[in-house]
Amino acid sequence: MLLPDHQYLTVDSLSDCLKALRENGERAQVVAGGTDVIFNMRLKLFEPDVALSIRRVAELQQVEELPDGGLRIGAGCRLVDLVEHPLVNERYPAFADAVRAVASAHIRNIATLGGNICLKTRCWYTNNSEQWRQGVKECFKTDGELCHVIKSSSLCHAINNADTPLPLITLGAVLTLQNADQRREVPIAEFYRKDGMDHTVLAPDELVTHVTLPPVADRTVFLKIAARQGMDFSQAAIAARAAGTGADAPQVSLVLGSISMAPIQLDQPARTVEAQGLSDEAIEQAVAQVRAELGELTSLYARASYKSHLAKVLVRRALKALREM
Amino acid sequence: MAKHMISLTINGDTYDLVVSDTQTLLDVIRGDIGLKGTKRGCTTGACGVCTINDSKGRAILSCMTHVLEWDCESITTIEGLESNGELDAIQRAFIEYGAVQCGSCTPGVIMSAKALLNAHPQPTEEQINEAMSGVLCRCTGHVKVKEAIRNAHRIREASSHAATD
Repeated sequence: MLLPDHQYLTVDSLSDCLKALRENGERAQVVAGGTDVIFNMRLKLFEPDVALSIRRVAELQQVEELPDGGLRIGAGCRLVDLVEHPLVNERYPAFADAVRAVASAHIRNIATLGGNICLKTRCWYTNNSEQWRQGVKECFKTDGELCHVIKSSSLCHAINNADTPLPLITLGAVLTLQNADQRREVPIAEFYRKDGMDHTVLAPDELVTHVTLPPVADRTVFLKIAARQGMDFSQAAIAARAAGTGADAPQVSLVLGSISMAPIQLDQPARTVEAQGLSDEAIEQAVAQVRAELGELTSLYARASYKSHLAKVLVRRALKALREM
Repeated sequence: MAKHMISLTINGDTYDLVVSDTQTLLDVIRGDIGLKGTKRGCTTGACGVCTINDSKGRAILSCMTHVLEWDCESITTIEGLESNGELDAIQRAFIEYGAVQCGSCTPGVIMSAKALLNAHPQPTEEQINEAMSGVLCRCTGHVKVKEAIRNAHRIREASSHAATD
């Protein structure tokens, strides 16, 4: 499958990149590692006039230690650099696990953190070639008027399969979004929209430049279930965090991924274990509350009914893992 | 479609090339240079048969990257592993352990294994699994591939002893 015709523009600095984004707006697509962008371009899911390469922008590729004990990570850092980074592993083990869980070593050698955070949503219909799709009516993503995943829906129900945002949400990470005039700080928990088409709050002229992680001493865990351990997108994944020690967990956060158009923060199950501690009974009570928070379930890499089962299994495993830490 | 001049070093030979915006590194390796060892597979990043090594000896999927990213870079393909008519230790290990059947995935599998051995000459089981997770071999079931990788360092040492004897 050939790439659709486009102009390939390489920029050397952040300011040049933001200027080019301002000039080209929605006609441009930023390419960092390219592994997700090229996949989508091959499937003709988007055909930008300009592919804007930021791979030579050194200022986006640094991991900076903050005085408060946190880290500020450039969005252009390749996943392999984070996997191998001693401070990332030491301070944010669950985040390091999530980075290590993304695709294969080959992909991590070139894919970036910003790319995974902005990963395009996927569904069983758009995961096919243009020729295959032409046999079926076009959907919202391919300029049609319906969603094949949930036929009666007025929204695109493609799933957000990114792994790294899940621990970042539990850790309270903040994204820096910048355009040619200004920058804004957006907590990553507020970055995603429940719409497969327009799945983040990023404006066409904006770039995710940095991820800021506050210091965190709590217990954290990341678990992923996929068809194979390596290469595959998650069927379901979870990041969890708890304050306290042992069964005592005064503050808990649980975030599920690869289930819906955006990561799902489980409120009721977290409140249950906060109130009752991480006993087996409380964990089972929390597990019983999971399904109600998932919304409509759809199939991608696993059947919807199995995803509901996986969500519960992951919550149980994550809470038990936290208890043992 | 605009054309650009780039300079790319493949297996130690530097090529000055005229390439277009939409060409991937794989398109140029196979089409423009004519090195057909690197294969085109799924072109979506799932099979790994297009794997090459970058200047740091890391495994890269050449079908998932624009060639314009590789201006002034140096890469190694499967053709670049042998030197002076002698195969690399990992290639000899693949032969000795029968880690090849139909051969379609072999260049990608060997370049992935080479990248692993560059970083860890005697890899652990976990490191082998992680490094080889990005390539698919439908014939061998990966068992013999892993045997070859585990024993590549022994073959390398044996040949370096033979050279000094």
